[in-house]
This record gives sequence, C-alpha cells and structure tokens, in this order.
Amino acid sequence: MATLEVKDLHVAVKDEESKKEKEILKGVNLSMKTGEIHAIMGPNGTGKSTLSQTIMGQPGYRVTQGDILLNGESIVDMPVDERARKGLFLAMQYPAEIQGVTNAEFLRAAINARRADDDQISVMDFIKKLDKNLKLLDMSQSMTERYLNEGFSGGEKKRNEILQLLMIEPSFAILDEIDSGLDIDALKVVSKGVNSMRGDNFGSLIITHYQRLLNYIIPDTVHVMMDGRIVKTGGPDLAKKLEDEGYAGLRDELGLDIKLVDDED
Amino acid sequence: MTELKAARAQLAAASAENNEPQGLLDRRLSARDLMEKLQLPRMQRFKFHDWPLIADQPLNWVQSDPALIPATSKDDEVIKVTQFGQTTVHVNLPQKLQDQGVILTDIFTAAREHQELFEKFFMTAIKPDENLLTAYHLAYLNAGLFLYIPKNVEIEKPIEAEIIQDSTQDEPLVSHILVIADRGSKVKFIQHLATVGEKANPANMMIELMAQENSEIDFSSLDEFGPHTHTYFKRRADIGRDAHVEWAVGLMNDGNTVGDMDSELLGEGGYANSKMIATTTHDQEVGVNNRVTNRGKHTTGLINQRGVILEDSELIFNGIGQIIHGAHGAKADQQNRVLIMSDKARGDANPILLIDENDVEAGHAASVGPVDPHQMYYLMSRGIPRKQAERMVIRGFLGAVLSAIPSKDVRNKLIAILERKLTDGQQD
Repeated sequence: MATLEVKDLHVAVKDEESKKEKEILKGVNLSMKTGEIHAIMGPNGTGKSTLSQTIMGQPGYRVTQGDILLNGESIVDMPVDERARKGLFLAMQYPAEIQGVTNAEFLRAAINARRADDDQISVMDFIKKLDKNLKLLDMSQSMTERYLNEGFSGGEKKRNEILQLLMIEPSFAILDEIDSGLDIDALKVVSKGVNSMRGDNFGSLIITHYQRLLNYIIPDTVHVMMDGRIVKTGGPDLAKKLEDEGYAGLRDELGLDIKLVDDED
Repeated sequence: MTELKAARAQLAAASAENNEPQGLLDRRLSARDLMEKLQLPRMQRFKFHDWPLIADQPLNWVQSDPALIPATSKDDEVIKVTQFGQTTVHVNLPQKLQDQGVILTDIFTAAREHQELFEKFFMTAIKPDENLLTAYHLAYLNAGLFLYIPKNVEIEKPIEAEIIQDSTQDEPLVSHILVIADRGSKVKFIQHLATVGEKANPANMMIELMAQENSEIDFSSLDEFGPHTHTYFKRRADIGRDAHVEWAVGLMNDGNTVGDMDSELLGEGGYANSKMIATTTHDQEVGVNNRVTNRGKHTTGLINQRGVILEDSELIFNGIGQIIHGAHGAKADQQNRVLIMSDKARGDANPILLIDENDVEAGHAASVGPVDPHQMYYLMSRGIPRKQAERMVIRGFLGAVLSAIPSKDVRNKLIAILERKLTDGQQD
C-alpha cells in the first residue's frame, strides 16, 4: 500500500505580469492511500491546478511552507522525473506537443525509465499491452505512430493522457480537469480507462469543476477547495449537494468570507 | 624572382605534372593573381579572420593509402564513389547509366576528357573573384568530383560520395564537386565528409549544382570533419526554369567551420528548399550564411535552419532571403532556430530579408533559447530522465531535416553522430 500526504502546504506563484509572488495555497491538508479515489472540487481560481502541479513538481510553483510525503518520504526537493518514477502521475490539462518523437517511442521510454537496464520491456510485451489499452480506450493503432500529441484534437489529447496512465501504471494518478472539453462519449471512454485501473495498487486524485465526471468515476472521498484551502470533506453525496446548491451556497453555510472568481485558474 | 612569380611558376609545373589542359592552368594563374588583391569574405556577427584557412604550401600531388580508411559496408541502395585525399579510391557507376551518357569521374579527368562541359560550367556559379578563398580554391584545387546527367535521364539510386580528408599528412584539401543536371534530368546526391588522421589542415570545399530547366537535384550532405580541420565551404545552386533543388545538410564537423549556402533562382518557376541542421560542441565556432535569391518570376525559396549549441561553443545562422526587382509572384520563407544548451554557449539566428519587389510573399521566423521548458516538464513528468528528455526534444527539433535525407544509412549515421555529440556535450 502506498500513501500520499499533503501537510499544511503553502505555495506561491510568480505572476507573469507583475513579477510579484502571490500565495495561492494557504495550508492544504490531504491524506490518501492506494485503493482510494479522491475528488477535489472547487470554484475557478481556487488553487486546484496549483495543488496538482505542485505535487508533480512543476518548477514554477514554490513551496513556502509545509510538506508533501510519498510513502512517508518528502518529495518537495525531488526533481519531476524522480517523483514520476516513484509512482506519481499527472494527467495534464494542456499536454505538450513534441514533434519527431512518436507516441509509441515515448511510451516505451516512459515504461523503461522505471525499469532496470537489464529488465527493459520486450517489444512483444509492449505491443500486447499497448493493443489491449488502445482497444479499451477506443483509440486507433495509428495514434501510436503519430508524433506525441502533435496535431491531436482536444479529445485525442485527453485520451492519450489516459493511455499513458494505463501503460505506465503509477501508484497515484492526479487527473487535472480531464473532463474539460470532452463530449459525453469521450467522457465515458476516459472514465472507463480510469475505472479499469481501480484496485488495491492504485489511487487517484481527481480535480474537477463539475460533478458530471463523478457520475462515471465514483469517488470515495470528496474535498471542496476554496481560496487555497480544503474547506469541507465528505462522501460522494457532497458532490451532488454542490451541484444542487453551488459553491456560493456552501461558502455561506460555512460562513466563509471568500470572493468567488470566474476566471480560469 | 618575386613571390608571385615563383608561385605562378610552381603552379605551372604542378599543373603540367597533373596533365591539365591549358584552359585550367590559365584559370589557376589568373586566380593566383587575384589572391594578391582579394580579401577574406565577411560574415555578419561572426569573426574568423585569424583562422588558418589557407595552407602555406605549394600545389602538391600526393597519394593517400586506401588501407587507412575504414572499410565501408557494401550498400546496394546507393551508387558509391570514394575519394581519400586526392586519391580516387573507387567509382562505381553502373554500365547502364554510362551507356545513357551519365559521367561520374574525378574533377581532373573531367577537365581533360570532357573539356567542353567542364569549361562551360566549372566555377561559373561560384566565381573565383568573389573573395580570397574562392580565388585560392581555383588556384590550388587538388581534388574533386564531376557528375553529368544528360537530358531527361533519371538516376533512381542516390549517388553517395565519400570524401575523406587525409590528415595523416600535412596537406590541405581543396575540393570541388560539380554537378550538372541537364534539362529534365533527376538525381539524388549524398556527400559524406570525414577526416582520417590528426594533423591540422584547412579544408576548402566547394560545390556547384547546375540545375537546368525542369531538372531536379536532391543534395544531402553529412559533414563530419575532424577537430583539427578548419573548414571553409561554399555550396551554390544555379536553378533554371521550373527546376527544383533540395538541400539537406547535417553540419556535424568537430572543428571550426564557416560557410555559405546559396540558391540562385534564375529561371521562372524555380524552387529551392535549403535545410540545414548543425550541432556545435566544446569550444567550436561555426558560422553559416544560408542565402536564397529569387530572381525569376514565380520562384519559391525556402530556408529552414536548426542548430543545437552545447558546452562553450558558438553557432551563428544567418538566413538571407533576397527578392530581386522583377521577380513577380516570388515566394520566400525562412526559419532559423537555435537551442542554447549551456550557460557558456553562444549563438544567434538572424533572418535577413532584402526585398526589392512588391508582388511577393515573404515570411520569416527565428528563435534563440533553451529547450522548451513545457516540453521538458511533460516528458519528465512521465519519469523520463532530464538528459534523455532533452535528447528527445532536440531530435524532434531537428526532425524536418533528418527526414529529408534519402539514404537510410546516412540518416542513421547522422542520428548516431547526433546522439553521441548530445550525450558528450550535455551538462550535468
């Protein structure tokens, strides 16, 4: 069993225009184990993406206080690639496009980066695994010979993130707004992929603005984030309640003095 | 006797020893005279005037021992010709092509046996009076190849020229490749430049492509001269009506290099696509002018240069797109991009557009900077170590030129060299 703990996490980000650092996360606490699916919901601009990028190790985000522990070990000073090899995965909102590197080549490199030099995945095993997962995600073979994300539609990119998840098999996957821009059919396919990973050796942190995704991937725990903190934690019912009453309703119920913005974070 | 007189006398003797026709000797002598008044060429933002680009020695004829060059694997996919220093090791032109009138020979045999063609084209695109190094080239020419493809002949297999500099001896390599593609002909030509030996020698390498009406020339080059070679190169295509020239150059020399790529779009409807990738390492300095000149109406000239600068090295890419008055409907587009991989690396990518006609389409893009951090983050977030991720991003960045090289063998060689240079030169 693997564990992921976020303790009193404060994170600052430099604003591109003003060049001033702004504190986005103001003391986040979160603890999860493999075998669990957690969802983080919250209004725009509240720090959900900052949390996911900071756990993964995006260089632009600075931890000013607190800690992130993976299996009890602090990872805040660890480079991104090492965090990944230790079992973290982030399905990104805006995946990079990389010309000249095929999807298949990239997937093999990612799998092999986790394995010893004398234990690299065989071509046969790789192809078998790839075929199985392509089928599951309703993706065509030709997608793997295309350059990584280059010229992919928004939906293709999201599917490709889930394909990577299935191929790499991390302990923890953070899904950052994986549902944004997906039609209902694509949403079902993506959910099917994530659900196929469910089990004792996999945990996921699903970041979403809308409750809709959680109809397909039922979480064990739902957290609500506002203004850089987790303000409420509950079961799947909490998501439904939010859908009915909105974030403002919850804010007022909790008596919080927070201005909700509609800007994308 | 003055120095010039002595030099002229020496050239005359050497030319006679080589059984050269009078025409070539006369041109050597007038080029030697020109050397007295010409200057080294200039390049924007790049200094190389203290490099030893001219050997301080007379025109010598020396033999090179073919046993010293690495055995080349047999490759049925190409028509091969090998020159080691001044020695032509072998020419392997199929009988069928010879029967069709194709000529592939060393440059001096061409001067003797195909005088009419040689006289008509040799050093007419690149002119001896352009600068000190073009004059030096003609006066002290000591190696080279000649290829003629007759009207409407298409050579399917690429011709691959292995040009190996013999630096086991103190001898400059002054080499000229002349390719004449007659009307409607087609050819793919690959050159592979390499060095054997550790002596410090200059290399003065020129290529003229004469693309006559409706012809097509695909020229690719893998330049891999050694660290002790100072190279000056000049490669020029004269492109006739509706003719088509593709350049794909992998500039992978280990030594200091300065050079010009030139595509002259002379006839209406001509097309040139000049692609180059370069990688510099250690304290190497490399400067390239890549020029396309639209003279004819409805001509298209494209430049795409990509460079990767490692360690303490320097790389300058100047892209020069010139559209001459009267070239209606001309198109010119260029991209010059360099990646700077260390704090001490220096580089620049300069687009220079000289447009003297209104009715044209012209565009340019340039970039100088580190590897895209967003791409790096993405690859690393999948567990791929930083250095490997860097090499993947770089390979993608260079992909357009890599894929344009017609021989799989040469392409794989180029990828292997790249991988080696990148691995050696990457910072911890």
